[in-house]
Amino acid sequence: MRTEAVVEARGVHKVYVAGTVQTPALNGVDVTLSRGEFAAMAGPSGSGKSTLLHLLGGLDRPTDGEIYLDGRAMSGLSKDELARLRLTRIGFVFQAYNLIPVLTVVENTAFVLELQGIPYRERLRRARAILAELGVEKYANQFPNRLSGGEQQRVAVARAVVSEPAIVLADEPTANLDTRTSLDLIDLMRRMNEEHTTTFLFATHDTRLLDRVDRVIGLEDGRIARDERVR
Amino acid sequence: MTAGLRHLRRGRRRTVLAALAVFVPVFLLVVFLGMIGGMEKEMFASLTGFDTGHFQIRRATDRPASGALPLVRDPAPLLAVVEASTQVTWYTVRLDLPALAAAAERSLGVVVQGVRPADAAESPFARAVTSGRYLEPGDEGVVVGRQLLDALGLSLGDEMILLGAHPQGTAGVAVPRIVGVFDLPDPALGRGLVHVDLGVAQRLVRSPAVTAVVGYVRGVEGPWDTPRIAEAVARLRAHLPEGYEVLDWAQLGPESLGFMRLMRPIVVGFMVAFFFLGGLVVLNTLYLSVLERTRELGIILALGAPRRYVMRQVLLESGLLATGAAVAGAALGLGFVLVVEAVGGFPLPGAYEEVTALFGMQPHLRMRVTAAEVAMAAVAMVAVAVAAAWYPARRAAALEPLETMRHAN
Ligand SMILES: Nc1ncnc2c1ncn2[C@@H]1O[C@H](COP(=O)(O)OP(=O)(O)O)[C@@H](O)[C@H]1O
Ligand SMILES: [Mg+2]
Repeated sequence: MRTEAVVEARGVHKVYVAGTVQTPALNGVDVTLSRGEFAAMAGPSGSGKSTLLHLLGGLDRPTDGEIYLDGRAMSGLSKDELARLRLTRIGFVFQAYNLIPVLTVVENTAFVLELQGIPYRERLRRARAILAELGVEKYANQFPNRLSGGEQQRVAVARAVVSEPAIVLADEPTANLDTRTSLDLIDLMRRMNEEHTTTFLFATHDTRLLDRVDRVIGLEDGRIARDERVR
Repeated sequence: MTAGLRHLRRGRRRTVLAALAVFVPVFLLVVFLGMIGGMEKEMFASLTGFDTGHFQIRRATDRPASGALPLVRDPAPLLAVVEASTQVTWYTVRLDLPALAAAAERSLGVVVQGVRPADAAESPFARAVTSGRYLEPGDEGVVVGRQLLDALGLSLGDEMILLGAHPQGTAGVAVPRIVGVFDLPDPALGRGLVHVDLGVAQRLVRSPAVTAVVGYVRGVEGPWDTPRIAEAVARLRAHLPEGYEVLDWAQLGPESLGFMRLMRPIVVGFMVAFFFLGGLVVLNTLYLSVLERTRELGIILALGAPRRYVMRQVLLESGLLATGAAVAGAALGLGFVLVVEAVGGFPLPGAYEEVTALFGMQPHLRMRVTAAEVAMAAVAMVAVAVAAAWYPARRAAALEPLETMRHAN
């Protein structure tokens, strides 16, 4: 397999400034995700996992260093260009409350396709197909508040992969789920990774999930403490 | 669009409030415009119905210094011109002259109005007759005001001596019997004006003269139709012989006109304030709705939605709400006006009777709106509501996705 860098962080520092208080969150991070990888980012709370995911996903900018997506430096992009990049190249799954409450499950899934300007029938077809793959097509016309937490997260995964992004970034997607549901969700993400060759990087502090990934990136105090292939 | 509708449905209480803030001003504006339109129509009808007509043709030269109207000794050429006009639907003639009204012991200066009784049957004088009757065709009698009757010490059925005093007429005399008495709220009219048949009046000037041809123009319902009158007047002018003038109703009855012209701007001014308040409620509603949806808007922005998309969503929501409520307000306002008209107007409480009588109107509220007024009321309110949504829309579009997610977590 050719290793093609999808996203790359080079010497990334992030310091949060609130008034006179400066909180260093990342202290020189170098990491590269290659196409098709299924990786977990582990580390205790406060170690900088969310911060790094936000930087990799173009939701925030590093204080120092550079992020590359598809080989292009992000620092030169305007806010609107970053939004465009997120829309077309990145899928997000957050910890909870990912879905838009006034849209049905299928509308939520098709939403990013709508923003991309894909015609109605086409986006509906694609949304339904991906919901079926994730086993939640029966909720297609329900509103999110009728679904359990695990089902909602599956829909969030569906929405993240439906536009076939370069990478899906998931920030503790299983934090609010029980063990069984968590493992199922990770398995589904794994299937998406294999069937669509979508690159996945998810943050977790649940060590039970780590034997299901190819690679574990360990963060501690804003530094990469370990980075190993486990399979 | 569906999302907008669902947001409106979800915040139902707020939506109802904002919808009312749009609905009520539009409804009221349509109803008020209907009242003004109805009043204008009534006032116009009463003013032009007998007194001024839509226009009058008078002699422009040889005006007597006393202020009396110059005599038209041979009205036939004028009548031929009016008769030939396709725009004039109806006309009558009148002879107004100064005269001396006398009884055994007293005499008073009055204006004698010689009319064709059939044509004046709907005049305020005819309607105000409280004893006896109004003139009939070929009548030899006179109808007088209550005040004049009292001043001369006469009563119904008595004879009254009339002495023609028109500077251009040879003083004639008539002794008509008093056949009717009218009670008008204006004492000057009650004391100073008498109605006789045109033939009787012509005997007072010893000439088959008139002082005015009073005409009516096709398709004219209210002051808003003045351009039609102007057009008809312009044509008549072109065909009239030398020495005559055509005056339209506005030139003939300027006092009531001032009042008529004031009403509309006053109501529109009031309504601007109402619309402004409605706009504020819409602004507040959408602002609260944006605050409530911070997390949701944050997700949308995080997914990569362009800021103008978010802005458009909020504006669309206000547009949907305002259009629905404004259309309902306009439709119900129009419905109200149509129902009031269908039952023949709305009786006003007694206190208004004197006011309406002053303008020669019945104490009934008539209503009239035009399609343009109804549409204008609705469109203006929608525009105000969408403009009011601008600020919340800007706020929504300016949210930082990470900030919003941190707050909501
Ligand atoms: N917006 C912020 N402002 C200030 N400090 C922040 C902010 N976000 C995160 N931090 C701090 O940065 C560090 C890393 O946080 P985070 O990336 O959320 O870690 P993790 O996701 O691993 O729990 C923590 O010390 C946290 O308190
Ligand atoms: Mg975190």
